[in-house]
Amino acid sequence: MNLRRIKAVALKEWKETTRDRLFLLLAFLLPALWMLVFGYGLVLDVEDIPFAVLDQDHTAMSREYSYRFIQSRYFSYRGHVDDPRALDRLLTKTTIRAALIIPERFEEQLAAGEPVSVQTLLDGTFPLHADIAKGYVIAINQAFTQDLLVDYVSRTRGLAREQGRRIVQPLTVEVRYLYNEEVRSTWSMVPALVMFTLMVASPLLTALSVVREKETGSIYNIYSSTLSRGEFLAGKILPYAAISLVNVWVLWLMAVLVFHVPFKGSLLFFFVGSMLFVFCSAGIGLLVSLLVSTQMAALIITMVVAMLPTILFSGLLVPVSSLGRGAQLQAHFFPAMYYTNIVRGSFLKGVDARVLWLDMAALAVFAIGMGLIAYRLFTKRPNA
Amino acid sequence: MDEAVITQESPIIRVSGFIKRYKRQVVVNGVDLTIRKGEIYGLIGPDGAGKSSLMKAIAGVLSYEGGMVEVFGTLIDSERAAERVKQRLGFLPQGLGLNLYPDLSVEENIDFFARLRLVPEQELTERKARLLGITRLEKFRDRPMRNLSGGMKQKLGLICTLIHEPELAILDEPTTGVDPVSRRDFWAILTEWQQAKGMTVLVSTAYMDEAVRFHRLSFLSRGRVLASGSPEEIQSLSPGLVITFESTPQLDAVGRLKTRYAQVETLGPSLHVFTPETDPSTALGEIRNTLSGLPVERVQIDEPELEDVVVSLLLQEQQNRIDGQAGSADPRSNASAPQSNGIAVEARELVRDFGAFRAVDRVSFVVKQGEIFGLLGANGAGKTTVIKMLTGILPPTGGDGWVAGEDMRRAAGAIKERIGYMSQAFSLYLDLTVIENIRLFAGIYGLDQRQTRWRMEWIIGMAGLTGYEADRTGRLPMGVRQRLALGCALVHEPRVLFLDEPTSGVDPIGRRRFWEMLARLAREDGVAILVTTHYMSEAEHCDRLGLMHAGRLVADGSPADLKRRLEQDMGPLLEIATDQPGRALAKLSASGMAQATLSETKIHVLSLDPGRDEARIRTVLTGCGIRVEAVRTRQPSLEDVFVSRVRALEEEAQNGAPA
Repeated sequence: MNLRRIKAVALKEWKETTRDRLFLLLAFLLPALWMLVFGYGLVLDVEDIPFAVLDQDHTAMSREYSYRFIQSRYFSYRGHVDDPRALDRLLTKTTIRAALIIPERFEEQLAAGEPVSVQTLLDGTFPLHADIAKGYVIAINQAFTQDLLVDYVSRTRGLAREQGRRIVQPLTVEVRYLYNEEVRSTWSMVPALVMFTLMVASPLLTALSVVREKETGSIYNIYSSTLSRGEFLAGKILPYAAISLVNVWVLWLMAVLVFHVPFKGSLLFFFVGSMLFVFCSAGIGLLVSLLVSTQMAALIITMVVAMLPTILFSGLLVPVSSLGRGAQLQAHFFPAMYYTNIVRGSFLKGVDARVLWLDMAALAVFAIGMGLIAYRLFTKRPNA
Repeated sequence: MDEAVITQESPIIRVSGFIKRYKRQVVVNGVDLTIRKGEIYGLIGPDGAGKSSLMKAIAGVLSYEGGMVEVFGTLIDSERAAERVKQRLGFLPQGLGLNLYPDLSVEENIDFFARLRLVPEQELTERKARLLGITRLEKFRDRPMRNLSGGMKQKLGLICTLIHEPELAILDEPTTGVDPVSRRDFWAILTEWQQAKGMTVLVSTAYMDEAVRFHRLSFLSRGRVLASGSPEEIQSLSPGLVITFESTPQLDAVGRLKTRYAQVETLGPSLHVFTPETDPSTALGEIRNTLSGLPVERVQIDEPELEDVVVSLLLQEQQNRIDGQAGSADPRSNASAPQSNGIAVEARELVRDFGAFRAVDRVSFVVKQGEIFGLLGANGAGKTTVIKMLTGILPPTGGDGWVAGEDMRRAAGAIKERIGYMSQAFSLYLDLTVIENIRLFAGIYGLDQRQTRWRMEWIIGMAGLTGYEADRTGRLPMGVRQRLALGCALVHEPRVLFLDEPTSGVDPIGRRRFWEMLARLAREDGVAILVTTHYMSEAEHCDRLGLMHAGRLVADGSPADLKRRLEQDMGPLLEIATDQPGRALAKLSASGMAQATLSETKIHVLSLDPGRDEARIRTVLTGCGIRVEAVRTRQPSLEDVFVSRVRALEEEAQNGAPA
């Protein structure tokens, strides 16, 4: 390994990247853009469901019932209507995704102790959303019913409301969410997006930079020189790893400042893990570039190889532990899962190498393995 | 060169029984080669002859399937073995400037190559200064490589290859697509460096006329060596004479000559015949007999050029193969050329800007019906842009043009129906057969079934495609493909034909046959043909020529006119043969003859006072110990015309105001 030659290659890469506007955008703008788009777009919380009310009773009780929904942060009130057909119209246009129909004689029947059913219409286009919305409806309804019961018990027995409540509800559940105290999906999503962005952007850059040389024929400068294989690979990977490390900090800052995700862990641990991961992902790009000969092929294959397994097996959307047995096994063959553990752990749990040393080790193995495979695959004397 | 010294050294490169396969396709099949220290060794051959594969294998950047390659006494059979010799060699891959880095400046490019080779910084500074000096790139040190002209890119490529002072330089088609001025420059620089450093050079070219620059050469065709030796040795392989004369009617004359001679070419009004007969009067007598009564005028008898020899070698090789020989069907005897003097194409002050860059600058010319007009110039001179404007593909920034009677600004649609266009990039569908391609083009132009059948027959006959009808186009040899492309461009019987570099990459025989077809189209069918090329030798086929340089039309006229005008302006051409052409040129330039150029191995000087200049040249050269072998006056070639016109223009640009 001769440092001067590695430096020559790395410096050349750096100059080309910073002077080619497209490459520059790809290197620095794309990751930040990705983070913004997915950070805001991939929010899985179901909140502010737009809804309308058809109140056919017009009594104090019916108004109180509907206020329970209007005041909830899960629902966003869009108005009252007088006609069931108007609800239909709003639902089809997706102006609202839920509707509450309070029947006539609502107050009267409740007062008389008769059971009443309130009809709720839910947009079932996205079953997951509809399910969650149904949960909210049931919960709000339950709370209302319980309050009625508490009222009834305390009134009939002449007790204070607090005492009445204790009789009606002798057992309560106290849930405390750990790590992501407010259970915001942003908090769990954004750290994983740091992983996703690095996983896609850095192999792309590395792959294109090598294949570009193959396409123009400048790779023959490398082939015909005394530059060794290792020096070439090092010279190619270093500038792109450096660019990715800059991006690590940009993404970190975005997570903390733009998405307000708390960072509870050790910066050093996070940084070392990120560096290993960047070498893995740039290594994937390098491998792809050694196998194909056009930029178009490099682009497509990198996208497929880097993106699909990352979306499926990294724990980005679905935790690895809830995947099927086969998928869980596959997840272990990609570096993304280990790094996801490291980023999420660093941000939300505040854990470090004492807990995640295995993930760290796995990344190191991947980085070294990738380098060795690239070294084996690259030949300065190809047969075509 | 001193033969005795050379032969005693062991060879630098030894190749024997070399075989290279890509998948199942054999591209080089048993090549032997020995290159000695201090030689400039040339590989000549058309595209696909196997030159690049051979050179890459020698440079150690391509593995091979059979035979052996030895460089500096090391058998190159593995990556490890190849690494051992790489510090001692420099390799310039094919493609003008493609191996350079467009975003890096001239200097950064050089530095990169030097640092890859671990050239010490101090030596780098010195060498860089020297190389930038002799290539006159000093001024452009900081310019990004992407903004260099073709000739400058090529020189930068050479600097980058030589910066670590290799003992062996392997240059793959360094001059393809570069204008003649830059080409001459390139050879001068290379020769000077080679002599100063005692470097060995292996270089390939597609230009037959560069062969004379090599000490020894091999002609490759279809992966085999057809002939090897010094230029003189190759020339002697096929002795004979080349007889150039005029005869009318030209087509009848060609028909009759073809019954006897394998090589008959039409160059504008003249005919060019290669005869194996070596006695001039016997040869001429035979020609008169063959023509039986047709006039033979303006006779000129020459030694055959290397290209004539190679073509006759190729023809001999072809006879051993089965080949659909339908194209040489004798021309129709009732050659009543539709004599129309109508103007087919007119360009008036055409201008085209791409941003701040003016690609075409006030270009005007006229092409008559039945005329072959050649636009000649280097890559990037603006030829393709002119064609694209005239065919209505690209709107002009300024100026006017008429094609087939229509205004190109307004009637692009009508023009497209009346012209045939064959582009640089191949327009054929390689997965279709010959017949399917013709049918497709007939369909595009809306021919009905009867017309299609008729045109199909005509195209197959004209282009000599009999026997190839059902073949997949991708499998056809380059020359045949090119003829099919021409046929397809003619399917709707256009009166005007635009051809954009139709013969790049085609072997000499293929090129000649192609030009034969063009001559027939122009003479018999009265089609106006506008063709671009960067082969100077092809330009002789045109009736009229426009020389383009840096977007401008530098000169316009028939080849003979252009030569005559040059002689009028600058005097006759002195051709000086010496034993050390590289040094001699440097000495002459230093003594005030700035316009002296190296053409092949001889020095060319245009002189208004030949007597006095000859004496001066002899004094200067003998004074430096250079032996002057011969000085004679001769007619300038088209290349001389081009070079001196461009030089004059460059000087004018430097002096600021036009003279």
